[in-house]
Amino acid sequence: MSETIKTGQVRVGVDVGGTFTDLVLADTRHGGQIVVVHKVPSTPEDQSIGVVTGVVELCRMARIAPGDIDALFHGTTVATNMIIERKGASVGMITTRGFRDILHMARHKRPHNFSLQFDVPWQSAPLIKRRDRLVVTERILPPDGTVAVPLDEDEVRAAAALFARRKLDAVVVAFLFSFLNDVHERRAKAIVQEAMPDAYVCTSSEVVNTIREYERFSTVAMNAYIGPRTSSYLQQLQGRLREAGMCGAVRIMQSNGGISTVENSIARPVGLLLSGPAGGVIGARATGQACGVGDIITIDIGGTSADISVIRGGALTIKNARDTQVALLPVLVPMLDVDAIGAGGGSIAYVDAGGAFRVGPRSAGASPGPACYGRGGEEPTVTDAQVVLGRLDPDLFLGGDLAIDRDLAHRAIETHLAGPLGLSVTEAALGVLRIINNTMALAINGNSVAKGIDPRGFSLMAFGGAGPLHGVALAEIVAARDVISPLHPGVTAAIGLLETELQYEYTRSVLIVLSTAGATERARLEQAFTDLQREGAAQLDSDRVPDGLRYFDRVLECRYVGQGFELRASVPDGVIDEACLQAVVKDFYNVHLQVYGHAFDDQQVEAVTLRLIARGVTETLHLPEIAHGGRHNPAEALMYVRDTIFDNGQSCPTPRYARAKLLAEDTVTGPAIITQHNSTTIVPPGYIARMLSHGDLLIAR
Amino acid sequence: MVDTIDPITLQVIGGALHAIAEQMGTVLYRMSYSSIIRESQDLGAGLFDKDFNTLAESDSTPMHIGSLPGYLRGIEKTIPLEAWQQGDVVIHNHPYFGASHSPDIAIVMPVFHEGALVGFSANTAHHVDIGAATPGLIIDVPDMYAEGMLFNAIKLYEAGRRNEALWGYIRGNTRVPNLVMGDLAAQIASAELGVRRFGELLSTYSQATVLQATRQLMDYSEAMLRREIAKIPDGDYMAEGFMDDDGRNRGQHLPVKVTVRVRGDGVEVDLTGSSPQVPTAFNVPFEGSTKVACFFAFRALLLDTYTNPDQVPANEGSFRPVTVTAPLGSIFNPVAPAAAEARFNQIQRVVDLIIKALAPVLPERCTAGNAATLSFAAFSGVRPSGDYWVFLEVNEASMGGRPGSDGPDTVEELMRNTRNNPLEDLGMHLPLLCDRYEMRDDVFPGAGKFRGGMGVIKSQRFLEPGSITHECDRHDDRPWGIFGGHDGHGGRLEVYNARDPAVIAQHPAKFSGLRTVAGDVMSYISPCGGGYGDPLEREPQKVLDDVLDDYITVAHALEVYGVVLDPVDDGYGWALNLPATLARRAGLDAVAHN
Repeated sequence: MSETIKTGQVRVGVDVGGTFTDLVLADTRHGGQIVVVHKVPSTPEDQSIGVVTGVVELCRMARIAPGDIDALFHGTTVATNMIIERKGASVGMITTRGFRDILHMARHKRPHNFSLQFDVPWQSAPLIKRRDRLVVTERILPPDGTVAVPLDEDEVRAAAALFARRKLDAVVVAFLFSFLNDVHERRAKAIVQEAMPDAYVCTSSEVVNTIREYERFSTVAMNAYIGPRTSSYLQQLQGRLREAGMCGAVRIMQSNGGISTVENSIARPVGLLLSGPAGGVIGARATGQACGVGDIITIDIGGTSADISVIRGGALTIKNARDTQVALLPVLVPMLDVDAIGAGGGSIAYVDAGGAFRVGPRSAGASPGPACYGRGGEEPTVTDAQVVLGRLDPDLFLGGDLAIDRDLAHRAIETHLAGPLGLSVTEAALGVLRIINNTMALAINGNSVAKGIDPRGFSLMAFGGAGPLHGVALAEIVAARDVISPLHPGVTAAIGLLETELQYEYTRSVLIVLSTAGATERARLEQAFTDLQREGAAQLDSDRVPDGLRYFDRVLECRYVGQGFELRASVPDGVIDEACLQAVVKDFYNVHLQVYGHAFDDQQVEAVTLRLIARGVTETLHLPEIAHGGRHNPAEALMYVRDTIFDNGQSCPTPRYARAKLLAEDTVTGPAIITQHNSTTIVPPGYIARMLSHGDLLIAR
Repeated sequence: MVDTIDPITLQVIGGALHAIAEQMGTVLYRMSYSSIIRESQDLGAGLFDKDFNTLAESDSTPMHIGSLPGYLRGIEKTIPLEAWQQGDVVIHNHPYFGASHSPDIAIVMPVFHEGALVGFSANTAHHVDIGAATPGLIIDVPDMYAEGMLFNAIKLYEAGRRNEALWGYIRGNTRVPNLVMGDLAAQIASAELGVRRFGELLSTYSQATVLQATRQLMDYSEAMLRREIAKIPDGDYMAEGFMDDDGRNRGQHLPVKVTVRVRGDGVEVDLTGSSPQVPTAFNVPFEGSTKVACFFAFRALLLDTYTNPDQVPANEGSFRPVTVTAPLGSIFNPVAPAAAEARFNQIQRVVDLIIKALAPVLPERCTAGNAATLSFAAFSGVRPSGDYWVFLEVNEASMGGRPGSDGPDTVEELMRNTRNNPLEDLGMHLPLLCDRYEMRDDVFPGAGKFRGGMGVIKSQRFLEPGSITHECDRHDDRPWGIFGGHDGHGGRLEVYNARDPAVIAQHPAKFSGLRTVAGDVMSYISPCGGGYGDPLEREPQKVLDDVLDDYITVAHALEVYGVVLDPVDDGYGWALNLPATLARRAGLDAVAHN
């Protein structure tokens, strides 16, 4: 099913969210590029139904046949939901005798400091029950992987036989120190596969070959837990698409921002766990390229949550491996550094028992939704505050598709906030926005300033349906340079899917002190990188990526000797000689300085994990330029003028402009509101919005 | 003085203060070198006003949260407020001047705004070795001078200039200079961050507004706790227990007595009746540890962050409704020069006894007896190079059953919340090899409607000669069952050599400087929590699960829980016989009531 990369294709991006499935189609067969976007309701019971419905409708809109689609790029929350809802496979585990409960004890830290009644999810809802964790005799020793006690194969056979009788779907083999020597894991896997030919079997070292037993075991447990059902989902999706006539390639978005094939996603589904938010960040990077901006803080604001990430010099930020987790369970796979917080349009505002004014993280969700939806929601939400302040026009909401009731919003704020706090409804509504914006701004700071990034040099890109309502206010708080409201704020993630490249990562634990590394150690590093590069090249071969479009990035994850947290340092191209290692140490120094505000030049640097990233560049989306306008407050785009309240509390007559009618280099001075089907961009007094060449809006003072 | 701040600005400033404290904590543990800080996160960080009120603290180890005001008050006795200069960095760890205990070294920096002192940015972190009598930890020592380096409000930096002589002195007086100096550098970086961010906040909102907001936030936290205390009927609530011994006088139990006096919306914890101070390091600094434990107990009981969706800011306000009394000269308020380094087990027990005392009036918020202990092991040795290695390991225990759920197994309970060290990371760097790390299987958990949690067994083997000091307790006083639940189990400690594992020496919970040879193994087996409620009321399915998961046997299920299981051939072996279970339970119930 792997297709040769060619130019002139029909490509479709499909991003499945909790409420909506967003779709984008790009057709470059006839010279230029035709782009069509669409949105259909998600089908949570089986996401593939909504995907296929959307694809068929999208093709109809684009006047093409599903058979014309060359490749479909899919961002999915299937794997993540399986973990959150604990709806994965029944999994057995074979592990080292004496260490049955590594997954049960975790890092022995409880999730709450000031609590007696807290839940410990890895004990109350384990991915693998204790009854299905069996121990066998074997022992591999540090520091060199010596086999101290050979694997007792009869015990493995007995365990596999028992698992077969128990009709388990999947088995993991996870031994201590297997990152040094995987001989026992591989042998045990072969024995299990013999006894259980239909089971999904994987070993800890093949899923993630790195030091730290709990995190590695947790990762492989998660892989097996989501493996069988992710596999059937993807196969079902392919089947349904074929039935609909779509026979092109299917590519799956991974957590690291790259895409992978269906086969690889089935073999290593842990790579998909943060697939959802990744598309948005990639889309933001692409928008940045179109706007000529490389330093961007992204915030994707939806109904219940906001996702925040940072792009520096056009490069995505990867989360520190010590922070990558899903539902409180660690998973050692590279993920984009996206922080999710419980703040969105549906966040509920309330006064707590002590009289404090709070907003979120509780959300009214899609049902009952904000009070103004009139679906039984009584508590005021952020959306209700926008409506009361006149920033969201009831008649234009979702292009008028959804009727909203301003009086209900007003009443909710009056009853639940203004009354108890002794404020006017306007003050209370402004307060809701100030508090939610502050929550988001603190999270932005946590993902930028706290990591050594100065927002003053960054553009804030606010997307997701609610993003451009908050963009300018957030930029003011965090002191970002300006604000970008992308062309299609509501489908940025789906657009991002069409901007990715094939990406595979390979790791190996090394533990070498770089400052004292001699020829032997350098040769070991060289060999390891060569081995990993060969694996990567073989993968790109099977994807038929031509030589000229292949890239290999080499990374050493390092720490000062004695530290416990590694940072990524890049390895220059060429042979690993003394100069090369010096360059690695220097890069590590700079990264450490940036992240912690401190670095040491008299300390030894130890490499812990070696990582090779193999990339295959595919065709990317190039949105067409829009016609030149160069007008100021163009009357052609003006819809009407209505009173709106901005952050100073003053109500002023504010024109509404139709975004679709704005052309390149048109400018609009605030106060103004620029509307489109699924999003509203606020331009407060004192700001000017300028339409850029590809339809993105740049808002600055 | 400005007028009352509006509720909106209050939320905004409260969020900002919390974020600053969190970032300070993060920088500290991410940058640090020793595993006790970076993995275990045995640290605390926060911002304080110049009256030493806590404005915000990082959400790290509870033991550290609430201890810093004591340090600041202790420092004031040497450095009055007017003697601070911008760029000062003070190092402090004196147990009789407010420190939590001497290894928890504080780094304190003043925050100036528009030329005047506004407050402090400070943190504490547990250091691996401060040059005490034995490596890492101490038990049987005569006085505080054996605790190692004591810093009583000394300026490590004066107006931005480092005191090189002091820096060199510290480096020369610890067994692990690379770890200690690296950790101090991380502490300084964290404090500097706090100074910078607090300054920015003051500039953004004005000093008057920020300080007024902090006063209101403290009042808010205080009010939230007082509301909950007021719901408890006034009265004196008592509970007692005992510690194994002081680490020297074996077999001599040390009483711990807790009286909780609830009056209106305030509460006093009175420790009168507890043991007099002891002649070893097994005493508790009053300001920095005893009081902190009592503050913790009420926050965890009454403002439980799991059951309360509204997070109450971590500041001074939550300390105000709680007063603490411990007679001078008692184990909870010793007189110098008594050593007071090994204090954690005692304060864990204070918390557990406060919970026990209040259980009759807080049945929905309490727990059965928790392990309420700490196994703190200092493994050490000298490498062929002549350099020391010292590794501090915290071993987890368990909790008692709870009103709606079983006690968690193998978990950090009450005042501690550290992380364990990856065995693979240790194995690559130290001459220690872990032979076993799993739930203990020598006893059944404390039975109950909600059973107690299971303790851990961890066996560490020396590959080269070395030494161990172990700070621990609760071999003897079993965690109690409650409301019909059964008692849990005490801990054990075994030492043997891997060549001859059948020859096992049983050790007391705490001991100093045990010399080891290659192949010596220390196995620590931690206590198991008590059960909550009548075991006959336990959901039969949960009893079956416990059998299948090897917590209990079929016979124990029948005998203690009245649950009848039938053999089945499904690969798991047992299924529930519900009619027989109901009949048996009815019979056992009748016996119990006759």
